[in-house]
Amino acid sequence: MWEAARTILKQLFQKPATNIFPAKYAPESTLSFLDMVAREEVKLHPPVTIPPNFRGKIAYDRENCSGCQQCYKVCPTRAIEWLPEEKKIKIFISRCCFCAQCVDVCPVHTLAMTEEFLLANYDKYADELVIIDSGELPGSVKRKKPAAGAAEEPAE
Amino acid sequence: MNLVIIIFGSALLVFIGGFFGMLYRGIDRKLVAHMQARVGPPIVQPFRDVRKLLMKENIIPDGAISWLFNAAPFLALVSTGSLLLFIPLFGQPALLGTYGDMILVLYLLIIPSLAFVLGGFASSSPYATVGAQREMIIMMSYEAPLAVVALGIAWRISHVTAANPFLMSTIAEYPIWSLLGPVGVIGALLMLFTLIVVTVGEAAKVPFDIAEAETEIAGGLLVEYSGRNLSLFYLSDVIKAFAMSSLVVALFIPYNLSPLLGITSTVGGGIIDGLFFLVKVFVVMFFSISLIRAGMARFKISQASTVYVLAMTMVALVGMLLVWADFVIRM
Amino acid sequence: MIQEETKKATYTIPVGPIHPALKEPVQLMLEIEGERVVDTDVRVGQVHRSIEWLGMNRNNPVQSLYVAERICGICNICHPFCLAIAVEQAANITVPDRAEYIRVIAAEMERIHSHLLWAGVAAHEIGFDTVFYRTWQVREEIMDLIEYVFGNRVTKAVLQFGGVRRDITAEQIPRIRKSLDYYKSVFKHLRRVFLEDKTVRMRTRNVGVLSTEDALKLLAVGPSGRASGVPKDVRQDQPYSAYADLNVKAITPDIITGTVVGDVYDRIIVRLLEVKQAVEIIEECIERMPEGPIMSEPKMPRLLKLLTDAAGEGVGRVEAPRGEDIHYVRLEAGQSTLATWKVRAPTYVNLVAVPTILRGMQIADVPITFASLDPCMSCTNRVLVTDRVTGRKSVMGYEELHRLSVEKTKELQR
Repeated sequence: MWEAARTILKQLFQKPATNIFPAKYAPESTLSFLDMVAREEVKLHPPVTIPPNFRGKIAYDRENCSGCQQCYKVCPTRAIEWLPEEKKIKIFISRCCFCAQCVDVCPVHTLAMTEEFLLANYDKYADELVIIDSGELPGSVKRKKPAAGAAEEPAE
Repeated sequence: MNLVIIIFGSALLVFIGGFFGMLYRGIDRKLVAHMQARVGPPIVQPFRDVRKLLMKENIIPDGAISWLFNAAPFLALVSTGSLLLFIPLFGQPALLGTYGDMILVLYLLIIPSLAFVLGGFASSSPYATVGAQREMIIMMSYEAPLAVVALGIAWRISHVTAANPFLMSTIAEYPIWSLLGPVGVIGALLMLFTLIVVTVGEAAKVPFDIAEAETEIAGGLLVEYSGRNLSLFYLSDVIKAFAMSSLVVALFIPYNLSPLLGITSTVGGGIIDGLFFLVKVFVVMFFSISLIRAGMARFKISQASTVYVLAMTMVALVGMLLVWADFVIRM
Repeated sequence: MIQEETKKATYTIPVGPIHPALKEPVQLMLEIEGERVVDTDVRVGQVHRSIEWLGMNRNNPVQSLYVAERICGICNICHPFCLAIAVEQAANITVPDRAEYIRVIAAEMERIHSHLLWAGVAAHEIGFDTVFYRTWQVREEIMDLIEYVFGNRVTKAVLQFGGVRRDITAEQIPRIRKSLDYYKSVFKHLRRVFLEDKTVRMRTRNVGVLSTEDALKLLAVGPSGRASGVPKDVRQDQPYSAYADLNVKAITPDIITGTVVGDVYDRIIVRLLEVKQAVEIIEECIERMPEGPIMSEPKMPRLLKLLTDAAGEGVGRVEAPRGEDIHYVRLEAGQSTLATWKVRAPTYVNLVAVPTILRGMQIADVPITFASLDPCMSCTNRVLVTDRVTGRKSVMGYEELHRLSVEKTKELQR
């Protein structure tokens, strides 16, 4: 009883332990709040710092992809769709379980996990949630580009 | 008293009681949140809650006794509002203080709980039935210590004045502390402690919120209520907490600030007394509701009943005995 | 006037599938007399997700490993761990030593997180919200640590057949030690808040008692069994992975109180002490971790081919935070999926003990008692065949319930 009483009186005078991301109280209207943030009238409180090697939203360097289908074979949730004509993949974030198996498996390091985690959306297939090409990734191992019209290089 | 003044004053009092009840509920939630290292809702949240509830649909379950189901919230709000007419608020005498005394207040305190119980039984849900049974038991249990405390104070005052000792104005005129020696002060402190524990039960907060236990019976009494009916119950709940705290203040801390400061003008004195009253109510609510709510687990119904009927009645009786002993010694 | 004999009729209160007392869907049909529980009917099957079917029909084993991780959010290491042990046994894959130690570290971190989560939930069940918030605040430290070491707060995604996918580097070790020191310093506070608080003791002492013979008869596993005095722990009896090097002893409540009652209070003791034990195990693992590779087969196509060609049977047994978890796996040569996969989660066994424990309890005790068994329904709903524990088929319709409830009220008013 006394331990609880001591704890609550101590905590009454301390700063709350909550990380007040994005704002202290829920705004009356979310959309007007986001407008105010865009116009820089209100500052969002940042979230807790993200550690390195965090498994967030996936990024895909389409140009570098060799079409080996390894990621397609190991995805537990079938979030990766294999496009046979173009020999590339398409990733559906609404199915992704963020296990990063595909990242580990890729021989040319064309997939990477970013730090993004704010992925809420009304539409499962919105543009932000279907990854077709994220551009060049830092740290990807560039493979030799095939000559125009030549067949794809075989996988490792 | 002029009928117009009574009607107008009653309506005004219910509004004021509702406003301050919700304000104090918001302050209580904020304080408890900080005690739990959280940020908590803003202080105006109860106002928003009532506004939201009034906008929601009023659903009446198929098997419920619909006239009783709809009447119970009104009964609760009306009876809680009538409580405010007989308790001195804001340092002024009670609006209908000459028409009813403390015994009437004690009886009136039963009616809101009874309305909750009726609402629970009319709900045709096993959870509500269990909640209503528990509320009945708690209601019966805390009457005993409450009555003993009221008797103790009134008995002591009856030896000082020939006026009706149960009248709230008499109690305000003769604060209990000034009539007692050191032994009696201990007795009065015991009675104050008992009354604070009874306040927690009346206001239905942890550890005595058994009738509305969220984790055990999914909301208990109020499980089937929604929309306007629930908002009426909510309002009656906040006003009852405010009224109960005002009762504690009226019985044990009836002092006014303006005579001490020497302010004789009625308006200025009234404002100072009103603000001081709000501070007193805040102190009572902090110690009885917020602190205890944050620091204890919920009791079982058998334990709660035992605490009230055995332990608290014993404490109140000992307090009353000490007050009697003090009176005999000082004679 | 002759008074005809009245019979006490019981009425049924359904707790679940959606109820604030339950964290996961299960239906407990309680037969109540007044406020006392006379009998219970447990109905599972509300969270069935056909994971074993996926493993046997659609996924190759590497995919199944991560689906197994999602059998339960809180037990997200023990299920893949168990499956990995089973498959490695069936396919004859050896795991390097460093990987074994990392697996054990992950498992113990999961144990700390799970027991702290449970402690907060138990406090919430008895209405003690302050302790709920405080315990989960303490739990934030291990969540941040798991995020730092493994990448995500809850699902660690670190296992693979033949080893682990991430290494614990030397730079990460100081941060791990900082968290462990924090837990050692806060343990005394937690112990005082839970075990020495008067209201907690009022709500948990002599509530939900499972005697030692009943625990042995009903095969209670995990902390629920150990709290009743049955000193069985898979890490002690049949050590797997790196536990063979560590000396893990089963924890029973007589370490602190000296006697075994088998009630909710004892279960709190066992779980808190297991948190302390887990902290010590992680420390020892960090000291003794050998250098070396972390995967025996780092190339995925080769691993997949190995698993497809393998044939054999394997059984994995792991001490999950809730008890003993068993996976049975059979591999057939040439088949890319698992030929047979059967999961038996610990809560499935503990559920059989629920009617015995709940008999004679007040309604107010039901949530805390049920929660004290730490039920993980997501783990339990793995059984494809049967979903009825008792086999009784009485279903009470709405009118019947209402009639009984009204009858009960009338009886009370008499």
